[in-house]
Amino acid sequence: MSVKIEVGAGGIPHNQILIYGLVGSLVLIYLTYLNTITNTQYFAFFGGLAAVVALLWGTDTIKHLCSYGLGTGVPSAGMIALGSGVVGALFGATTGILAPIVAIIVAAIIGAVAGVLANNVVRMDIPVMIVSLTELAIVGAMTVLGLAAMACGTFEFLGMITGTTVILGFAVQTYEASVIGGSIIAVIFMLGAIAIQHSFNACLGPGEKQDRTLMLAAECGFLSMIPVAIISFAFIAFLPALVALLVSVIGWIYTYVQYIALSKRDAYAWLDAKPILEPKGGA
Amino acid sequence: MSALGGPKQTGGIQPPTGMGLVLSIVLIIVALALAFLLVQMAGVIALVGIIIGGVLIGFGVHFVPVGGAPAAMGQAPGIATGVAMLAAGAGLAGLFGGAWAAPLGLPLALAGGAVGGGLLMAITCTMVNVIYVFGMGIPAASGKVAKDPITGDTFPEYKSQGTEGHGLPFISWVGGVIGGALGGLGGTLIYLELLDIYQAQLPVLLNATVEQIAPVAVSLAGIFAVGMFLMNAVLAAYNITGTIEGPHDPKFKRFPRAVIAAAAASAVAGIFAIALLELVGVF
Amino acid sequence: MEEIVFGIGITALAGALATVAGAAEDTESDIGSQGDPNSQVQLAPQMGYIHRIFNKAVAGEPPAYGLWVALGAGLAWAFMAMQINPILAIVLGSALAVFVQGVYATTAYLGRTASLAKFGQPVYIDILKSMTTVTMAHAFVAIFTTVAMCHLMISALGHPFPLPLLGLVWGIALGAAGSATGNPFYGKERQYQEQKFGAGVPISASGNIVRYAEAGQRNSLDNGFFSAKLGGPASGICFGLIVFFELWRTVVFEPLAAGWGAVIVGVIVILVFAIIDRYIEVWARKTFGPYTAPEEASS
Repeated sequence: MSVKIEVGAGGIPHNQILIYGLVGSLVLIYLTYLNTITNTQYFAFFGGLAAVVALLWGTDTIKHLCSYGLGTGVPSAGMIALGSGVVGALFGATTGILAPIVAIIVAAIIGAVAGVLANNVVRMDIPVMIVSLTELAIVGAMTVLGLAAMACGTFEFLGMITGTTVILGFAVQTYEASVIGGSIIAVIFMLGAIAIQHSFNACLGPGEKQDRTLMLAAECGFLSMIPVAIISFAFIAFLPALVALLVSVIGWIYTYVQYIALSKRDAYAWLDAKPILEPKGGA
Repeated sequence: MSALGGPKQTGGIQPPTGMGLVLSIVLIIVALALAFLLVQMAGVIALVGIIIGGVLIGFGVHFVPVGGAPAAMGQAPGIATGVAMLAAGAGLAGLFGGAWAAPLGLPLALAGGAVGGGLLMAITCTMVNVIYVFGMGIPAASGKVAKDPITGDTFPEYKSQGTEGHGLPFISWVGGVIGGALGGLGGTLIYLELLDIYQAQLPVLLNATVEQIAPVAVSLAGIFAVGMFLMNAVLAAYNITGTIEGPHDPKFKRFPRAVIAAAAASAVAGIFAIALLELVGVF
Repeated sequence: MEEIVFGIGITALAGALATVAGAAEDTESDIGSQGDPNSQVQLAPQMGYIHRIFNKAVAGEPPAYGLWVALGAGLAWAFMAMQINPILAIVLGSALAVFVQGVYATTAYLGRTASLAKFGQPVYIDILKSMTTVTMAHAFVAIFTTVAMCHLMISALGHPFPLPLLGLVWGIALGAAGSATGNPFYGKERQYQEQKFGAGVPISASGNIVRYAEAGQRNSLDNGFFSAKLGGPASGICFGLIVFFELWRTVVFEPLAAGWGAVIVGVIVILVFAIIDRYIEVWARKTFGPYTAPEEASS
């Protein structure tokens, strides 16, 4: 028995969120480049913030796409987004300083192709399909690139495949102890895939409100940053990783508290250890 | 899946549009040409392998009997989970086996991948029937056909009132195993082709031995195989709008659309994966 | 020879870990009403049946467990890279992954329930307090055993995948096996306990889930109590058999026939399961009997 997906109306228009999301994530991810310029690692956490902004945008896109009814779950949209996004992100990463821009372009190509195929070959015939899958692929790419940059302090490919390990007290360069060599990219992939779909999947229903859904999207983003920050202790120096962890935890606590407040605002009633309230007139 | 989402009502099967078909063919040809330009014959062979792998995944998903939420209530036949993710479970278990057998050569690795995927589905489908029969007292009855094409069992007299059938008939069991095997085969093929490319290029690029770069090559090939697997599986899931009973279901006849879509999508994502290392160090 | 005996021991251990993981996974998802039965928990208030069941719609079980296990494995990998010993690293990684799981569970319940305000479904905050912790405990068991199993496959059996990638692969497989096996038992037998045994739930009864227990009101802990008796162990056996046969055929039979032994044995195992499945199906048809007389010339 499937239930119709209903969404609330109103709120910030989607195009505005799109522009903020695209520009915001691009700027934030470039801020991690300050690491290379100043030769430190303290700016790594900007990558995670870029992922948060991208996820906000992706949540709104998923809301638009899934309100049409795909016939399969909301999570599938997250999977296709990250599936095409990870190819774009890693291809982009090989182009050095141009990485974020190339990642956006490549992801947009893959997403657009998937959208055209979904509409014209598979015949979903959903008007927003092509635009949505393009946006989702870009969001996926920015999320992967942002979180990867947060983990190792750079969005460049060579930085992602090299790491150092300590053998008998000597620091040795190795490909195994790196973001890609250790497959941390797989963790980032799944973190993004669940985070991008969770907020809409969790808030859907007739009482869906945009501000609550977007607050949850930010919460998912900061929550995803926490494990990445912990993993980054393995790749970057102690203090920069601690800064990243603090930023993630503070951001997460703030958005989580805000989200609970918004849920309290929208809920029918907020009860603790009370019996079932049967509706008037009986079920 | 937790998914809510009404399957779109479609009368009959809509063929792909002319534009969709032409675009798919053009994309595949362009991708093949690019592969030849960048990595010569090895690139073309790898891309053809990736396209075949993607097609096998897209085709294989149609065999997997998935009833979604209604199956969990005994309202519809099939396995009670989401189609893309069940196929992914089987295909990735196949990838596990295939990757393990990779040093033994291509035919053996492919066979290992196929058997791995088939084995997961065989055990899962059997345990599903154990639960239906011994836990719930429900015999198998298909809702789409009156007779099992393999065993000749008749179904209408075993169907309970007010349902579309329930349980997992033998034809669906066979479909599940075939689907799992095709998924495992396709996923392994994509992985092996990419692994070959990276193992040939990375040592030259980084001036290292094959053993040193092995973790990077394995991770890159693995994460791209997972990403492309999910992309193709979701496109196929969109094609069957969520639920299917197996090869006897009328929806199965829609598979050519998914095959075309999977071929074109794999070609586009594949060319970026193959060309991944071409730009390293250029910028 | 010694190598093979060692391999068989590891195979058995991995299979045992997988069995525990499968059982814990299914019980966890049933307490949270994750996966397909979730649709009924979501539907009930819309039909006028207000309930006190946990509605933890994070995603389908396969992607959700793909994340939890990959995350546990990734964190464990990072801790091992920081020179922490593997057992401690796996425990710490799993614990942090469970933290993420618990947060996702609470936000999913709050979001879904708040969006149902129109139908008069209140948020019961005590559900969050008492049940999230129970699902987290079960999830910890599932994640820890799966990550430990993946670590064994790498360090003892020499699989080429790094730990997080292997965690992703087996996490998705764990979710797929657990949801496929366990969902119908929870969905039909528990949520619709009042419907007739031995028949599917009529579509007209959708949403009328059982909301009152033997004494008082049913909550999701009662559901976990129920599905832990059959659905959970069955899911455990399912995932345990998958892992065991997958490793066993490779470890023992790969040396035969230039590697083709593993493939041949795999095919034989599939055929054996085909026979078992067919036997169960025929047994059910004979025992439960046709519900109506066969229609004339129905084909």
